Amino acid sequence: SSPDNDANAPTNVSSEQMTGRPDRELFLERDVEVIRGGTTLNADRATYWIAEDEVEASGNVRMTRFGDRYTGDKLRYKMDAGEGYVDNPTYHIKANNGQGAANRIDFESEDRAFIHQGTYSTCEGPDPDWYLSANTMRLDKGRDVGTAGTTLIYFKGVPVIGTPYMSFPLSGERKSGVLPPSIGTSSRGGLEIMVPYYFNIAPNRDFTLSPRIIAKRGVQIGGEARYLGNTYAGETKFEYLGNDRETKTDRYFISTVHTQRLSPRASFRWNINAASDDNYPRDFSRDLATSTNRLLLRDLYFNYAGDFWNASARASNYQVLQDSLSRIGRPYDRLPQLTFTSARQDINGFDWTFNAEGTRFYNPDDYLDINNRRFVVNRITGERELLTPRNGDRYHVNSSISYPIIRPGYFITPKVTLNATSYDIRDSSSDINASYSRVLPTFSLNTGLVFEREANFLGEAMTQTIEPRLFYVKTPYRDQSMLPNFDSAEADLSFAQIFNENRFIGNDRISDANQLTAAIVSRFIEDNGEERLRLALGQRYYFEAPQVTLRPNQVPSDDKKSDILAAAALKLSDTLSTEGTLQYSATQKTISRANYGLTWRPAPKKVLNLTYRRDKPNELSQIDVSGQWPLSDRWYGVGRINYSLSDYALLNNNQKIKSGNKISEGLLGLEYKADCWIFRVVAQRLPTGTGESNTSLFFQLELSGLTRLGSDPMTAIRNNVPGYQLISQPSNVSGM
Amino acid sequence: CGFKLRGSLLGDDLPFKSIYLDIPQNSTLGAELRRNIRGSGELKIVDTREEAEAILDIPSERRQKSILSLNSQGRVREFALYYHVTVRVRDQHNVELLPPTQISLKRDMTYNENQVLAKEGEEVMLYRDMQSDIVQQILRRVASIQPPTSIAPAGTE
Repeated sequence: SSPDNDANAPTNVSSEQMTGRPDRELFLERDVEVIRGGTTLNADRATYWIAEDEVEASGNVRMTRFGDRYTGDKLRYKMDAGEGYVDNPTYHIKANNGQGAANRIDFESEDRAFIHQGTYSTCEGPDPDWYLSANTMRLDKGRDVGTAGTTLIYFKGVPVIGTPYMSFPLSGERKSGVLPPSIGTSSRGGLEIMVPYYFNIAPNRDFTLSPRIIAKRGVQIGGEARYLGNTYAGETKFEYLGNDRETKTDRYFISTVHTQRLSPRASFRWNINAASDDNYPRDFSRDLATSTNRLLLRDLYFNYAGDFWNASARASNYQVLQDSLSRIGRPYDRLPQLTFTSARQDINGFDWTFNAEGTRFYNPDDYLDINNRRFVVNRITGERELLTPRNGDRYHVNSSISYPIIRPGYFITPKVTLNATSYDIRDSSSDINASYSRVLPTFSLNTGLVFEREANFLGEAMTQTIEPRLFYVKTPYRDQSMLPNFDSAEADLSFAQIFNENRFIGNDRISDANQLTAAIVSRFIEDNGEERLRLALGQRYYFEAPQVTLRPNQVPSDDKKSDILAAAALKLSDTLSTEGTLQYSATQKTISRANYGLTWRPAPKKVLNLTYRRDKPNELSQIDVSGQWPLSDRWYGVGRINYSLSDYALLNNNQKIKSGNKISEGLLGLEYKADCWIFRVVAQRLPTGTGESNTSLFFQLELSGLTRLGSDPMTAIRNNVPGYQLISQPSNVSGM
Repeated sequence: CGFKLRGSLLGDDLPFKSIYLDIPQNSTLGAELRRNIRGSGELKIVDTREEAEAILDIPSERRQKSILSLNSQGRVREFALYYHVTVRVRDQHNVELLPPTQISLKRDMTYNENQVLAKEGEEVMLYRDMQSDIVQQILRRVASIQPPTSIAPAGTE
């Protein structure tokens, strides 16, 4: 519909000298100009056939077609159809500054051109820093894609990579193409060269194939497929290396995720991960997500949502990749787990919930508890009790009714909950079969007030609130020491946890309680509703110390109160923000957990993050610094260091060992940005196991407009430096 | 010291008296938002878009989990859980009363492989807590919407 594309647009012809036969053909000489719609043609000489709307031009031929420019010796062109050819041309594409020269270009339509023996680059000037040279190329502006046949890519005049086929985008969009080759070394694999190919199959599906040569091991094939539809989405990644030279075995890893909506109410998803062996993450990981993941989930999940209820069925288990020096207890399989949840609100002011769950747990390992025990002897009955049965069914029902009174200035919610649980334990490796059941009522009262005033904060008028909260819980005590523990643990102390009725997570333990949680929150809120400062303080007081413990024979704490929790988050300005949380034990007079963070983003591509973490129960004390900073006009630095202040590490069996690793993670990189390419060198260190780490070095050359980002160093940089922005991105675009 | 019990949250100054929540019925965020708007007793929730003076929707709701810290053996000891919600309020004529506004929350969670099933449950609890928090923040944003007189230049476009 644009006037440029009007099929009936007239062709205007002008020149200093014009001869010919009226209505048949025109011979044009000196300063010839032929214009039709979005196409303008200039030349020294031309012949124009009126009926065919076709022109043949020679001598200083220049053509502009919808912003794209062509020059050449001789051009023949049908003005209305956009078809023709040009000999010895140069060309320039407006959208992405793509340019080059060729033997000949065939114009196939207004959108498409076919290039014979041509070059392509996004660099300016006659002597580009990089270009590709191909025997054939097709530029399709309609599909926004260029494709090339047998191609050699030259950088600084040196051929760096050859390929029988490639594609690249014709606009600023990152679409398809050969990804930047990545060359690196790692301490576990030696020299590694990867040349990923990116197939943009459709706008909503793509596939990346990443062959990689690993000097010490062999050739690894990696792939990643992504797809997205109206009712489904998914991603599958795999890596395969046949006959590893070091281990003489086949090594592989696969990860697939898929979600699908079957109807507005029904959906299912799978998430399946598998690796060939325990040492896979140690030997092959290139980023944190895979190096640290030693529990590989296999999960199938089906869900049906009713109007006020939800039913789901799930089957799940974990593959455990063991580190022999720090073994992980195998989690129970849930084959299956059936869940029903329902809630009705505001039935004459009452809210009720009804939740039910039935799970068949299975664990083939003779796995021992944290104190290497599989059985305990009950102190009262003297009978043997199984801590970790192989098989067990658990049925759990939880129902509650509450009467919430919610007003702008206050809320009061009295609530009564009933938990009923039954167990059916069988253990194929021993003679223990048992059934247990437990029924427990809980009463709770959740109350809060909201006070407000107009206040001044850093010179700005704001609303300040003070919100005191009180939460009382009463649950009677039941001895639960004979119950197995399939999926439960004590939750960390947090503001979420202290307002929970049960201090355990999972349904195997329900804490007895006669306790009061008190907390106070104060906020400074801008006129637009944004929180600038939040301060929170909370603690739980036990009128009776809770007796239920996670493990049998565990001595319950007789503390009269919990640790104190404090949290603060402050947005000082648009560029500077800070937050911190603190857990202080008043009885031990020590900070058991703490977390402080500071983020400063003074400008695009400038970010500094500073974090301090302390987790005394886990023997963790770290300083973490990361950032991105321009060093000069073209050089950018990026880095992260995670420094451990503790000399010890805690093994999974709670044994403390002296640790040699003071730096658990580190990354240092330099990026150089030229006009039409970017060079990166990145060194990364990842801990991969007890006393082990993998250090790797990446080199990457990104050719602007030809290659899409997303290769190894980028993943590592993004994971390590929160707030990192691509240096190829225009500065006025914020990545926040 | 000037503190007073909050008398009104979604009352007097709001340029609309009824709202339609364009959020799927089975969204728990939507249910909690409905419960709190209804609890304020000031803003009427209507069942259809046509009878509402304002329409609230959630263009995006995203959860993200990233590794916060490792111990020296390369085991994750803390995850950061992020919850990003974008909220928007428009009137009957599609004029944005509250342009798409992202609210992000983060909670840290310690991690231990030996408790992976319990940690799944803890994650659910922390997301539920963040949801309650974000509902309050959404209400604050909605409460800050100015009467149309002061946004007339943008509204007439």
